[in-house]
Amino acid sequence: MDLQEVSVKDLWQDVYSAGNLHYCFNCSTCISGCPASHGDPPLLVRNLARKLILGLEEELLDDDTPWACVSCSRCEEMCPMNVMPFEMILFIRQWQCRNDETRVPTAIVEIYKRGYTQAVGVNTELRESLGLPRLNTITNNPEQLELFRAMLMKTRIVSENDYMFGG
Amino acid sequence: MQLCFFPGCNTPAIRPDVERAIRASMPVLGIELVDADNYVCCPAFGSFPSADEEAWMATSGWNLSIAEEKGCDFVVQCGSCYSSLCMGREHLLHDAEKLTRVNELLEPAGRQVTGKSRVRHVSEVLFKEIGPEKIAAHRKKSLKGLHGVVQYPCHTLFPSEVVGFEESPRAPQGLRRLVEALGAAVDGYSRELQCCGGAGGFMKSTPEQAVAFAKAKFDAILAETKADFIAVSCITCLMHMERVQNTLNEQIGEERYRIPVFDYNQLLALCLGFDPKQVSAICSVPRDSVISRMTDVNPNT
Ligand code: SF4
Ligand code: SF4
Repeated sequence: MDLQEVSVKDLWQDVYSAGNLHYCFNCSTCISGCPASHGDPPLLVRNLARKLILGLEEELLDDDTPWACVSCSRCEEMCPMNVMPFEMILFIRQWQCRNDETRVPTAIVEIYKRGYTQAVGVNTELRESLGLPRLNTITNNPEQLELFRAMLMKTRIVSENDYMFGG
Repeated sequence: MQLCFFPGCNTPAIRPDVERAIRASMPVLGIELVDADNYVCCPAFGSFPSADEEAWMATSGWNLSIAEEKGCDFVVQCGSCYSSLCMGREHLLHDAEKLTRVNELLEPAGRQVTGKSRVRHVSEVLFKEIGPEKIAAHRKKSLKGLHGVVQYPCHTLFPSEVVGFEESPRAPQGLRRLVEALGAAVDGYSRELQCCGGAGGFMKSTPEQAVAFAKAKFDAILAETKADFIAVSCITCLMHMERVQNTLNEQIGEERYRIPVFDYNQLLALCLGFDPKQVSAICSVPRDSVISRMTDVNPNT
């Protein structure tokens, strides 16, 4: 890490001001139980906290590792300083999305379009063969789906990227 | 007792036999399920929670408003759905500003959220609300003579303040007691609390490492237990722990990893006497070795 690159700007305020980020004392508990720390490159939660505190904006923007998190929340449970590292990861992802639209997960487009990331409720034959009822999904309820979309359209991520959502 | 059933997306779309098992067992044990009409994605952690806080809270609020309207708590099987809904509710309950904003967003749809409905995992309902004794008493079939291991969903353990219901999240008991109630012996092993590794981007970004991570778990099961089956309580664990075994077998060119994986609700429904063709219809690691060894429970003994 080149300390000359350390900026004076308070990156953490922009990204994650809610947790006890500044109480982090580098103990690495958040890494030792983390499944994604076995990845290549590894997800090293402690290092993400460091980048935030030191204001290494460009490094953090280019970092793909927050997206390898499996959301198990071990780090959230075990962190002795209540940094809430899992929430920190989500807020780093959100910040990356705000600054780089190619980061915006396509899953949110699917949810906007049909309510779910999967095609729920279209496997009617299989469901019937198992003795299951028809699901009252939002995909099959145009009126409710329209209301749901209108709600999302009022949120920043959807309105600012409305081209992704078909207008 | 009435609970609003939140099916999620993977279960109804890919593993509807698990949904069938839940819908079959719950009424037998005194729980009436009402449907969550017009529910949407939980939202999955990789979607709105990774993109925008406001849209995350709005989507959570949309779902929570459904249970509130029905006047009961949610019951959820999928670990991610459960954790996401718990977290959304937690944020809304502890941040008046967020709650106000979400209600503004929900208002045109005639919806409202207060946080009054709780979010409950199906294993918590079975363990705490119904209890192993009642489950054992309702059995028509037994897993006696079989050995199992349990896979606790991380999302029901951590963070314990938000999602937990075990006395100790570091030494959970629920799933073990529930499997024992069906007559099986549950073997402990060194990697019992290791995550399956199947959720989020780990498997997508570095599949080789994710499979190796899971292999360590399966090797421990094979070396340290007599497991005839694995009981899970999350749709991701179910699908991932089957898929990884098949991948590992392909890698080594032999059928070393073939421990049947069941969602607990499936084992329960089978023991309550429901048809395997309905409640245990879909799997990619064959389950006959378990189903064929289930024995009848004699009501007079
Ligand atoms: S566990 Fe908490 S205090 Fe320790 S390095 Fe991680 S974030 Fe910092
Ligand atoms: S929640 Fe994410 S970062 Fe934290 S331990 Fe689990 S995989 Fe690692």
